Amino acid sequence: MLWKKMVRDIWGNKGSYVACLVLVIFGLMIFTSFSIASDNLSLSQKDFYRQQNFAHGFTELISMPYGNLGRLNQIKGIDKIDGRVTKEVRVTQPEGDTAIYLQLVSLDLADPERVNDAKLLNGIELREGEFEIWVDNQFFETHRLELGQNVEVVAGNKARELKVEGVAISPEFTYPLRTEKEIYPNPEQFGIAYICRETMWNMFPEMRGQVNDLVFTKEPGIDFDELKDRLEPEIEQYGLINLFSRENQTSHLILDEEVAQLQRMSSALPLMFLSIAALILYIMLKRLVEQQRGQIGILKAFGYNNREVMLHYLSYALAVGAVGGLLGGLLGIYVAKPLTALLFMFFHVPEVYEGFSLYYLALGLIISLAIFLLAGYQGCRYALQLKPAEAMRPPAPISGKKLFLEKIRFLSEMLTIQGKMAIRNLGRNRSRTVFLFLGMMLSCSVVVVTWSLNDLVDKLVFYQFEEVETYHARVNLTEPAFRSTVQRELSRLDEVTRVEPLIEIPVRLSHAWREENVLLLGIAGDSMLYNIRDSEGQRVIPSDRGVILSERLAEKLDVSTGSLIELESPYKRNNDGPQMVEVYRIIPQYLGMNAYLEIREIDQIIDQGDFATAFMLNFGGNLNPDENELEISGEEQIQKNVKLLRDLYHESELVAGVDGTEERGREIRDLMETFGSLIYLYVLVGVVIAFAIIYSSSFIILSERNRELASMKVLGMTSREVFSVITFEQWFISIFAISAGLPLAQVMMFALSRELSTDLYSIPTELSGQALLMGAGITAVSILIAQSFAMRKVRGLDLVEVLKTRE
Amino acid sequence: MELIVARNIVKRYRMGEVTVYALKGVDFTLYDGELVVVLGHSGSGKSTLVNIVGGMDRASEGELYFREQPLHRANETELTNYRRSQVGFIFQFYNLMPNLTAYENIELSVQIAEDPLQIDPLMEQVGLSDRQEHFPSQLSGGEQQRVAIARALAKNPHLLLCDEPTGSLDLPTGQQILKLLRDFCERYNKAVVIITHNTNISYMADRVICLKDGLVEGIKENPEPLTPEKVSW
Repeated sequence: MLWKKMVRDIWGNKGSYVACLVLVIFGLMIFTSFSIASDNLSLSQKDFYRQQNFAHGFTELISMPYGNLGRLNQIKGIDKIDGRVTKEVRVTQPEGDTAIYLQLVSLDLADPERVNDAKLLNGIELREGEFEIWVDNQFFETHRLELGQNVEVVAGNKARELKVEGVAISPEFTYPLRTEKEIYPNPEQFGIAYICRETMWNMFPEMRGQVNDLVFTKEPGIDFDELKDRLEPEIEQYGLINLFSRENQTSHLILDEEVAQLQRMSSALPLMFLSIAALILYIMLKRLVEQQRGQIGILKAFGYNNREVMLHYLSYALAVGAVGGLLGGLLGIYVAKPLTALLFMFFHVPEVYEGFSLYYLALGLIISLAIFLLAGYQGCRYALQLKPAEAMRPPAPISGKKLFLEKIRFLSEMLTIQGKMAIRNLGRNRSRTVFLFLGMMLSCSVVVVTWSLNDLVDKLVFYQFEEVETYHARVNLTEPAFRSTVQRELSRLDEVTRVEPLIEIPVRLSHAWREENVLLLGIAGDSMLYNIRDSEGQRVIPSDRGVILSERLAEKLDVSTGSLIELESPYKRNNDGPQMVEVYRIIPQYLGMNAYLEIREIDQIIDQGDFATAFMLNFGGNLNPDENELEISGEEQIQKNVKLLRDLYHESELVAGVDGTEERGREIRDLMETFGSLIYLYVLVGVVIAFAIIYSSSFIILSERNRELASMKVLGMTSREVFSVITFEQWFISIFAISAGLPLAQVMMFALSRELSTDLYSIPTELSGQALLMGAGITAVSILIAQSFAMRKVRGLDLVEVLKTRE
Repeated sequence: MELIVARNIVKRYRMGEVTVYALKGVDFTLYDGELVVVLGHSGSGKSTLVNIVGGMDRASEGELYFREQPLHRANETELTNYRRSQVGFIFQFYNLMPNLTAYENIELSVQIAEDPLQIDPLMEQVGLSDRQEHFPSQLSGGEQQRVAIARALAKNPHLLLCDEPTGSLDLPTGQQILKLLRDFCERYNKAVVIITHNTNISYMADRVICLKDGLVEGIKENPEPLTPEKVSW
């Protein structure tokens, strides 16, 4: 019988229970789907690493004789070390507008247990000495390649036809980024190709018998740093560029971070949803028990014991927990598959799908039931304390009290009677006021942070290409060259109005026991095409006074302006030990982690004459930002010029490729539009929270005060006037909640930035004005929507029924 | 002057399969300045009748006019306006706003009225000048009912509907309340309708409408109504 009573009670107040249920379903869905997806990804990662013998250490060199590998294999702690030749080559294409690059990675076909072996997904084995390649699956699909098709690349100063014989993936390139300035893999412009080592030597005769890349696995239990100390002296003489562990390998770092992030999200988000739902339920049950004290008295008078009464009221919470938990879990299992598929779009790993997970379904259900049991118990504890006789008496009259706020005279005079009622209710139901406040605050800050994250991706990428790197095109050289000669050659071209040299060399910076391997950029002091900016957006001019570091690099080296650091580079002519340089400025840099020095200063340190590794160019027919039409034609002109330049240096020995800034910006923008839609999911989270809280609290207030509200209607007040008592209360809290939500968003942003920033990118912590407005706006709109639903209930208040009986 | 004219008012409720008739065709007229008692036992339909006359509920059939305006055809907004400007209600359980002071409860009513009475003289009239700043929980039952009366009167309505106004009060307090109602009726020439099952109260009415089983059993006129002080139960 009591079961029926519960179903009817829930049905009578279905709005609030549905709001609660939606939160539980959302929470459990996220829990199950994210847990399964992260398991899938992690499982796939582990299997893949094991099967393909993924390296523990990576080394980039200028060149080392292949024959020396045997000696390195003898180093204690090294399990197996492989030497490879890796080169980035440009793909030639008659009609293409954009530059396409392939990273060629050599494979020793004779070795059956290669470190970082490529896994062949489709196609046939490569043959010794043949111009055949395997390409990565995304590149293969994006460019609609077919097995047996030829791809023409410029390698070793010659155009070469490479036959695509297979599609393969490798644990080393699960998230292939061409440069550290990118956040998403872009298979349109960059891919990985695996090739026989012998063929590689044929294509690059200067590398014959040499390798420029070492990958190794270590014996179990060996510390990487110890191994590094043993290996380093052995290879230093070959122009050691970088020696790093698996933990710092780009693809691994991002994949690992993704798995960790999924795991964090799979617990944090559901916990937030479930807590809010539990709080709502707690308040609803508390109210229900107070409202039904007479019924409780009767039940007890009949002889129902405390346990039975308690169980009855707990069944409300358990019903919501069970239904929500089950639906959410099942929905989560359903969503897990597309979510996993989405992840596999980003990461090139073998696809592993765990379908139905009874474990997470059961775990989710248990968590949900446990939380609701606790909330339910807290909510209906009062029912236990009631003695039958006491319960059947009406409760003590609700007392009224003026709030201290009303002592402020002008405030008190400003308030309407409805306003006074609302304000006093805030004081009367403190726990509910706090709940409303927290909910609105949370909702607002979630939206602000989400919106800021969206702005931030903008900032991450466009800042780099629109504020910092403002050149139209960049000519990358195959090897460092005398800059005056090349500069003269480039300046001679008709379309080119400005040419600036650029040096990019790997360096090791150290300060005390801290050291970092980064790319040092050499930029002319009078550069107009590469604008380093400080946190205020002001230009920072590279000077001979010292090195400019990115904030994160400075933090990792633990240096500040004026500190002295050591600089070493494999490019240095005389290996006469590190050079001391002073930290001149520290600047924000969102993408990558670099050091900057005036170009002539690098000449001095490296002592290789005036060289450059790339050139930045601007073309004539420059754009006029005021005239849209001109701007378009300007863009087209630039694209045309980039293409002309590309054709001109098609088979040049010195030019590795020509990149158009405009096309890179456009590509990234297109990519981000696809990914940007994810943000709406998070905004939805904020909206759902705000809606559920406002909606359910409106309903609780309505059921609690229906007598008061009905009396007001009887007095002749319109539904809107009556409802204004509730809305006033909510808007009043919302002012404070939104005001508090903004600083909370800032705190969340700081935490997020600390948590998510890596050497590849740092997350700026400032919140944009637009995000703040959106946060406040979306919260307000959610409140409005929820109120409009609750308003219906006020319209439907049955005056006769409400006023007939004593409360 | 005719204030309310009710013709063949029927009210039926559907309760599952069964149709229950609360009023089965009630006819009566109310005039300005008279005090009418609607007398009947529990379930006779008296509260239903007052709810319909007060614009809180609608008749299933029949015609109801306020100053010749057809209330039976009024929409929700028109009914709200009718309650807002023409009708005052007093309930057995007062229905005061618990978190508004006595004064503010009256102010709540004044702020929506077209031609309200002044609050201070009203407070004096109901004898609560010194309790203005008290909240309902700080007032006795009689005091709370006096606030409720002041709140109803403050709108200066043409019709005052009182549903068992003395139902939860002791005799002296009840007499005070009845006196207030009689004063209002006479001083302002307004119609007051008291619903009660208490036959003794009917002796102070100008007219008594007796309801039984949803029908008007009879309408009696009192040529010499008792003063409230003489009414006892």
